[in-house]
Amino acid sequence: MLQQAPSRFSLTFSEPVSPLVLTLVRPDGTPERLTSFRSDGQTLDIDNPQPLGIGTHVLSWRVISADGHPVGGSLLFSVGAVSAAPATGEVVDPWLHRAIWMAKISLYLGLFLGVGGAFALSWLAGEGRGGDRFVVTMLFAGLIAAPLSLGLQGLDALGAPFEQFAQMIVWQTAFATSFVWTALIAAIALGLGLLALVLPRVDAKPFAAVALIAAGAALAASGHASAAAPQWLTRPMVFLHGVGIAFWAGALTPLAVTLRRQAPGAEIFLHRFSAAIVPVVAVLVIAGTVLAVIQVETFSALVDTDYGQLLLAKLALVIGLFTLAATNRWVLTRPAEAGQTAARHRLVRSIAVEAVIVIVIFGIAAGWRFTPPPRALAIAAAEPVSTHMMTLQAMADLTVAPGRVGTVSANIMLMTGDFGALDAKEVTLVLSRPEAGIEPLKRIAIKPGDGTWRVDDLVIPFAGRWTVRLDILVSDFEMVKLEGAIDIRL
Amino acid sequence: MFRTIMIAGLFMGVGAGTAFAHVSLESQEAPVDSTYKAVFRVPHGCDGKATTAVRIKIPEGVIDVKPMPKAGWKLETVKGKYAKAYSLWGETISEGVTEVNWNGGNLPDEFYDEFVLRARLTGDLPAGETLRFPVVQECEGGGTARWIEIPAAGQDEDAVEHPAPGLKLLPKK
Repeated sequence: MLQQAPSRFSLTFSEPVSPLVLTLVRPDGTPERLTSFRSDGQTLDIDNPQPLGIGTHVLSWRVISADGHPVGGSLLFSVGAVSAAPATGEVVDPWLHRAIWMAKISLYLGLFLGVGGAFALSWLAGEGRGGDRFVVTMLFAGLIAAPLSLGLQGLDALGAPFEQFAQMIVWQTAFATSFVWTALIAAIALGLGLLALVLPRVDAKPFAAVALIAAGAALAASGHASAAAPQWLTRPMVFLHGVGIAFWAGALTPLAVTLRRQAPGAEIFLHRFSAAIVPVVAVLVIAGTVLAVIQVETFSALVDTDYGQLLLAKLALVIGLFTLAATNRWVLTRPAEAGQTAARHRLVRSIAVEAVIVIVIFGIAAGWRFTPPPRALAIAAAEPVSTHMMTLQAMADLTVAPGRVGTVSANIMLMTGDFGALDAKEVTLVLSRPEAGIEPLKRIAIKPGDGTWRVDDLVIPFAGRWTVRLDILVSDFEMVKLEGAIDIRL
Repeated sequence: MFRTIMIAGLFMGVGAGTAFAHVSLESQEAPVDSTYKAVFRVPHGCDGKATTAVRIKIPEGVIDVKPMPKAGWKLETVKGKYAKAYSLWGETISEGVTEVNWNGGNLPDEFYDEFVLRARLTGDLPAGETLRFPVVQECEGGGTARWIEIPAAGQDEDAVEHPAPGLKLLPKK
């Protein structure tokens, strides 16, 4: 506790570091990025953005150590009086997430409409073909989005702001993530797609085929679905799903443009497409269903989680898409192939609607980047939660495992205010939720003999923010109370 | 007549409801630089068990402590160095009683008793503040009640479960 706000903060590390993000969270919870600092390797001097109010502040720091690993931590201090420590949720820049989302959609456009389009033009189209310009545009969109996505991934992994996009460390971090493979293989697929459009038709076919396979491989290289177990199943499924989408969605625009222009050989294009599309969609649906089952796990998660809700929205669109596609395939294709102009017009319009729905679906799928699947949520819920509490006399680290509702164990590490050993006579853990009218749960901790204190079989009945208090009996007549808060997950 | 008995019964009921009364001092105000007779009131045992010992921690600035012996109880004191030296009647005193311990007695939960000591409140004590005497009450079967919690400045006495008995320090007379 300080009587007056300090003029600067000084952090000393055991190794040379370079600061990445420094944030000061004020007692009312408003975060402020600190940008004025000097570093001489191991010591970081940060200017204090005066004035500070009365209460407990959190100085949160994230730095890069010499070996390139980002390390984070936070420091509590109080000016004038101690108040409840403000919550230090990650400070997420909404623009960063929007940029990641847009880049992801552009990458999908490149891989599905670009590479898929190149494949359709090389393999399915007849003599005359249309939509080349659209496909090339999509391929370029993808080629721009691939490196951009990678850089944004680096920023997101570090929790760094936009300004640091060009920094070496951001890219090093990005290259250490699995997304680097997606970006790399996607770039190859997009390049091959371009090549396939430029080359004469006969030579282009193998390039277009490899491009399509690479597009599937790029998607299977990273992401929630590919990371799920069992990998031998999920990765091939993501691959098949991706290839299926590229084949289908990629062909739509060239097909519509070719049909509308009444180009020679438009019937052949339509005939080849409609012959292949049923098995392709069957594979697409099977792969998608398998992935959905693995990711969502339970029916209730479909409604209860963001991921599940996005999936429901996507399914609704997919059903609409299938209805259109089925009409096209079984009602309009035959007359259109036979050359009926009215049927062709309807088909072109219907395909255009399909293409729009497909793009909306890409937007939803790109949204999954920010919603962990229920499978991962279940794993995350089992993770322990911790909090650090301190006063001048004592500090404690409290860990509750698993950090969710139910029977849990609490582990308590005690130290004196100056990091010395604290030999307590008795420690009582008190959990309460005064605003919810829940009487304090009081448990005396036991000493397992490893210098820590423990409370086993503690039952936490509700999720949410609990007030925790440790009553530490330092001597017969002296008790130190530490207070903090802990967030218990459902 | 019957009604009177009824009302008396009701009052007793209320009395039983406040059985969680704190260990407290009888006179809760005294000027600094004076001699003070501290009467510790013990209203009940620990969770229904009889009290077998009462230990009182003497806060810094309280010197020349003389506890009053009690029939049926063994009286012990712990002596130690003070944080600083005090002068009393021209003499410099730097050590003395820091803990008083009445033990070996038996005060059933349903009875009340008082434990008395006399001490000098030095002029160094800050007038206007509350001086706390942490008390540990030991009971049959190893139970303990620790009246040692110190409410934060401005905090209500009832905000803590087991407040240490407090004495409001008045300016020197």
